[in-house]
Amino acid sequence: MRFSRAIIPVALCIVLVALAAPAQRRYGRAAKPKPVTVVSPIDTEALKALLTQQRERPLLVNFWATFCDPCRDEFPELVKIDNDYRPRSLDFVTVSLDDMSDIKTEVPKFLDAMKATMPAYLLNVSDPEPAINLVDRAWRGDLPATYLYNEKGELVYKHIGRVNAAELRQEIEKVVSKKGD
Amino acid sequence: MNTRNLSILLVSLFVIAGAIFTTGARADGEVPAPPAIGATIEDFTLPDVDNKEHSLKSLAGKNGTVLIFIAVQCPVSNAYNERMEKLAEDYKAKGVAVIGINANASEDAAAVKAHAAEHKLSFTILKDPGNKIADKLGAAVTPEAYFLDANNKLLYHGRIDNSRNAAQIETSDLRNALDAALAGKTVEKTEAKAFGCSIKRA
Repeated sequence: MRFSRAIIPVALCIVLVALAAPAQRRYGRAAKPKPVTVVSPIDTEALKALLTQQRERPLLVNFWATFCDPCRDEFPELVKIDNDYRPRSLDFVTVSLDDMSDIKTEVPKFLDAMKATMPAYLLNVSDPEPAINLVDRAWRGDLPATYLYNEKGELVYKHIGRVNAAELRQEIEKVVSKKGD
Repeated sequence: MNTRNLSILLVSLFVIAGAIFTTGARADGEVPAPPAIGATIEDFTLPDVDNKEHSLKSLAGKNGTVLIFIAVQCPVSNAYNERMEKLAEDYKAKGVAVIGINANASEDAAAVKAHAAEHKLSFTILKDPGNKIADKLGAAVTPEAYFLDANNKLLYHGRIDNSRNAAQIETSDLRNALDAALAGKTVEKTEAKAFGCSIKRA
């Protein structure tokens, strides 16, 4: 008798789970989490303002795209760099050169997966050439491209292609405040 | 130090220097500089997707040739598939041959062939093993175009047009260069930065 009483809640649980399972399948798409990271569109003028504005902190800018393998490969290192140097006065922004149609899907999805919390932009232009030239006339637009500016806004380091994290850290060390400052 | 030790030291130094030189020659992301506009592109031979060798000379159009570095998996290059095919059709009648070159080490001839069939690309596509021609031409991305005149003189290098979205085309730089040259006029804009996926070099 005691056994049959005890089995009732267990049986109820099984029935509830069984009923919930098809509902979960039915609403499976809605249950999929939406990307958390907000990616902002940026045009050439806004990019110019971002790069040339008065600032008190050094700025690291990484140009990348989800379709670029070396960009994806180097991203974990960049996230580590952001985590390590943001408390030491480094500002870091990423600018994606993906298509605008990816601004709420592929780009934030990747940034979420990378646990990237730095401000994220997507270049919203019909012609990327003026923006590429604005950043660096010598840059041919190939990705990734990483630029480091000191607090005066002067370019102090650039690298086209996958970054060497140790080399980038060395360059950042030269422009950020010392530990504990 | 005896002669044997000296020889070992010299050989070691030579090997180390060689290793440094080799590494330095292809730093990550480093792409050789492209030839200057007006330079003559030397004839070269590459295999097609069926491994049949073709020289540039054998494929060239009587009024010029367009070489376009393309890819199988690059979304930017793929956004241009229809435009490249249309370009090849339009200018074939005008004596200009369009040739695709796939220099991505990550995409083999079978994948290139299947991709061409899937996207109905009817122009010749060559494989560039070891990206020798990509290096020679300083090609960095896909798609990236080179327009050579009938004497293989480089008249235009860069993008096909300003936007991967066909709806946002404002300047068809490659077509403008072709039309100018075919009309016997000077090409106004000889270079425009190509935007796309980096060529995956060997």
